[in-house]
Amino acid sequence: MNELSTDIKADYSLRARIAGIVILALILLLVVSLWRIQLIQGSEYIDQAHSNRTRFIRLPAARGKIVDIQGRDLARNTPSFVFSVIPGKLHNSSEIVRKLSAPLGTTEEKLRTVLDKAASGPKFMSHVIKRNLSLEEVSLIKSKLVETPGASLEVKPVRTYPEKETLCHIIGSLGEISADELTKGAAQGYHIGDLIGKSGLEREYEAYLRGEDGWEQLEIDAKGRQLRSPAGKSPKQGADLVLTVDAKFQKFCEDIFYQSAGSIVALEPDTGRILAMVSKPGFDLNLFSSGISERNWKELNTDALHPLENRAIRGLYSPASTFKLVPAFAALQDKIVGPQWKVTCKGELDLSGQIFRCWNQYGHGAVGMRRAIVESCDTYFYELGLKLGPDRISKYAALFGFGIPTGISPQELPGLLPTPAWKARTYGDIWKDGETVTLSIGQGYLTATPLQIAVMTAALANGGKVLRPAIVRRTVARDGNILFEHEPVVRWTIPMGSGVLAELERAMADVVSDKRGTGKKARIPGINVHAKTGTSQVIRAKKRTKDDDQIPYHERTHAIFIAYVNDMPKKIAVAVVVEHGGGGGLNAAPLARKVIAEYYGMPDPGESPQP
Amino acid sequence: MTVSLPQTNYLRRVDWFMGLLALTLSCIGLALLFSAVSAMGPSGSLFLTRQIMWLCLALIFSAISLLFDYSFLDRWAFWIYALALLILIVTWGLGKVTAGSRRWIEIGFMRLQPSEFAKIALVIALAKHFSGMDRPGGYTLADLIQPLVLCSAPIFMVLIQPDLGTAVVMTIVSASVILFAGLSRTTLLRLTGAALCLAPVVYFLGDHMLLDYQRRRLTTFLNPDFDPLGAGYHIIQSQIAIGSGGAFGMGYMQGAQNQLMFLPVKHTDFIFSILAEEWGFMGCVALLALYAALFVKGLSIAVGARDNFGALLAFGSVMILFTHVFINIAMVMGLLPVVGVPLSFISYGGSSLIASFLCVAVLINISARRLPF
Repeated sequence: MNELSTDIKADYSLRARIAGIVILALILLLVVSLWRIQLIQGSEYIDQAHSNRTRFIRLPAARGKIVDIQGRDLARNTPSFVFSVIPGKLHNSSEIVRKLSAPLGTTEEKLRTVLDKAASGPKFMSHVIKRNLSLEEVSLIKSKLVETPGASLEVKPVRTYPEKETLCHIIGSLGEISADELTKGAAQGYHIGDLIGKSGLEREYEAYLRGEDGWEQLEIDAKGRQLRSPAGKSPKQGADLVLTVDAKFQKFCEDIFYQSAGSIVALEPDTGRILAMVSKPGFDLNLFSSGISERNWKELNTDALHPLENRAIRGLYSPASTFKLVPAFAALQDKIVGPQWKVTCKGELDLSGQIFRCWNQYGHGAVGMRRAIVESCDTYFYELGLKLGPDRISKYAALFGFGIPTGISPQELPGLLPTPAWKARTYGDIWKDGETVTLSIGQGYLTATPLQIAVMTAALANGGKVLRPAIVRRTVARDGNILFEHEPVVRWTIPMGSGVLAELERAMADVVSDKRGTGKKARIPGINVHAKTGTSQVIRAKKRTKDDDQIPYHERTHAIFIAYVNDMPKKIAVAVVVEHGGGGGLNAAPLARKVIAEYYGMPDPGESPQP
Repeated sequence: MTVSLPQTNYLRRVDWFMGLLALTLSCIGLALLFSAVSAMGPSGSLFLTRQIMWLCLALIFSAISLLFDYSFLDRWAFWIYALALLILIVTWGLGKVTAGSRRWIEIGFMRLQPSEFAKIALVIALAKHFSGMDRPGGYTLADLIQPLVLCSAPIFMVLIQPDLGTAVVMTIVSASVILFAGLSRTTLLRLTGAALCLAPVVYFLGDHMLLDYQRRRLTTFLNPDFDPLGAGYHIIQSQIAIGSGGAFGMGYMQGAQNQLMFLPVKHTDFIFSILAEEWGFMGCVALLALYAALFVKGLSIAVGARDNFGALLAFGSVMILFTHVFINIAMVMGLLPVVGVPLSFISYGGSSLIASFLCVAVLINISARRLPF
């Protein structure tokens, strides 16, 4: 240890003294500036603090609209009267309760609890007591307001949705900003009480829709008269969102969906733009526009059919027989079998003791690929699946977009594409032949969203391009500048030999036009509809004794149907899923037919007899 | 490791006044925090319980550190420095991105800001370095190369987090420790000259290399009315709060600016404005007097230390505390740009509180183990 010599000690002592003087001088500087701010200019700041002189007024930006491709409003702002109180300024809350409970249309007791709740929050923030007041209520309240300081009526824009249920899951809703969002969003200028997108596009495109708040600095004298012309910045309105959807077409698709639950997705096969996206059941978005009531919220949340869930991107279903096109494609592309390869269907396949039934218990006889698709013969695909093996099927399924999100929204689910490796990882068990057999008819572990099924359909229609579907066509700033314009994104193109797709295309055309085709109900005279049916088992069918209407709702099969038209200038690819809707050809195909007929501006031809 | 427990002598030598000052300051901090969070409604009370927990931890750490002779720090100085640097690098690499900067590291349920501790480690390393060198005439430029390298590594790591405030504090503290260690007269002159020449260059670089939000803060410092609801908001609102405090303040928990929640981060960096608003000029002067007493006492400890290392370490600890206090209060009053430096002992935040207490513990340690007269 080097002890201090007196020399060094003297040095340190001197330097410490200098440091001490500097420190004290700087602290004195702080004291002097405090003196200046607090004692000399103090009263001026007190005035400012009491906002007697200068008042910053925040000018909130109007939120951008959401419109359909034709410019029809789907979400817009309407002015509405809001009654709010500032708890810290309320002199006499019992008086408010007494005087205003009747004009507000509630009981004294309810109003008191609401006021108490507001008082427990920040004292000098305005708390909304009731939104969306009618003109009548406004005039009644206004007459009492003079006598009740701390309470006020304001005009605030409220988000309304003129089309109500239309596209409710996609548009999404707004809500008051939460404490958590506020901490994250403070830098972006969010304030307590702001409305922020909570779900759907309102949330995803918050940054576009929100706009930029402005401000105004007013100097006011003690009597509230304005002294100077205000300085400030005007607010910048949020950008409008133009969707790819035509609201009229969308509404048509929603209206024809009479069953209780399910989804329809219609795409433009060449661009991936969504033409219609239905998820049933839905809800009226306007329930959310002035803060959803607890009762409504509970009702929506506890409904067994989950109306808040967007089934089109979050509903997971076995694609069932619509998936058969994938093994068929794999077989032709990898030349495992030719189109002429035949299987004799006796109504079932016996796989070392385990019986796998074909939907047609009497059997289809000897069928080649075309017939197997047209009549949706299960036995053919059982045998084909065994020849292909699970890895090859999964590889092609992945190429068609199964098992990964389509990229339309961060909220969507990816579905599940099983492989032997996946099974070993998840269950620690080896893959069995029986599972290959169920996979090749699109059952078992395999699940996909209606949108993924629609993307596969689009890929079949457009020559193998797997697109990223899109719902937003463009965003347009208030000044007309286009901030974002959708360009089709081809995620990848499925490699294919010549004639492979053509073979499937012929088969899919026959599904509709052949007299034994399973998709006859989708027939539209004059339009070349290609389709495939599917019937997705919910529980393992043991026997076939019961009639459809004898099976309990939750055990009924899902009806699935895919269809496309690609030989017209306007093209369309559709996927329909009807939950517990029975057979795909029976109950989903008519919906697809109506959608396609409407798309081409034709009346619904109905279930036509043989052409 | 020397644990010098049993001497009754030792307890008598502990500078209780110093500890009491620190404790008083942190209690004032808790009172202000209570006032600040009461306006936030029920959710705010969580801040208070957390801060009390941090205070207990800080006291426990300080008490434990007093059991060891500070020569322990002398022996382990470079390891402490290396560890601090390593943690800074790890934080930068893995650190969770909060509000765009990588300055936090998560340990269990706690979130620590390693840069707070890196300051102390840097002072320890500098003290060690200079205490081992003997230059009767003062250090020359060549002698400064090593310590400058020593300083620049952690400062660089803090700067890229990016945490401009802490980097500024570390620079000022290192510079003052070097000055305290003693420079030769010619070196001093040369450095002053160089600083004068470099100033415009730094200004130019700052203009081109500062991050967007840092630049915005600097511009608003120069002109707070530039965007009163955006970046200038803090300065204007805190000036209004301080100014409206007047001579005696509006009374505890009565501040309009505070209760109106005009300041979103008032419980951390802007807590001084609450003191100024609610306790007025008198309250502020009282607080500054407490700090001044702490610094003066700390400097006298530096002078009375038994060895070179102790003197430098004590001086560095005082400078850490002083730099925080000065920059923070000057920033809240609008005398300096908003750079995000906490007010020692008072601002909400565990790392800063613990680090401040450790500085005081080091000072007490050095004073308790000074040479017997």
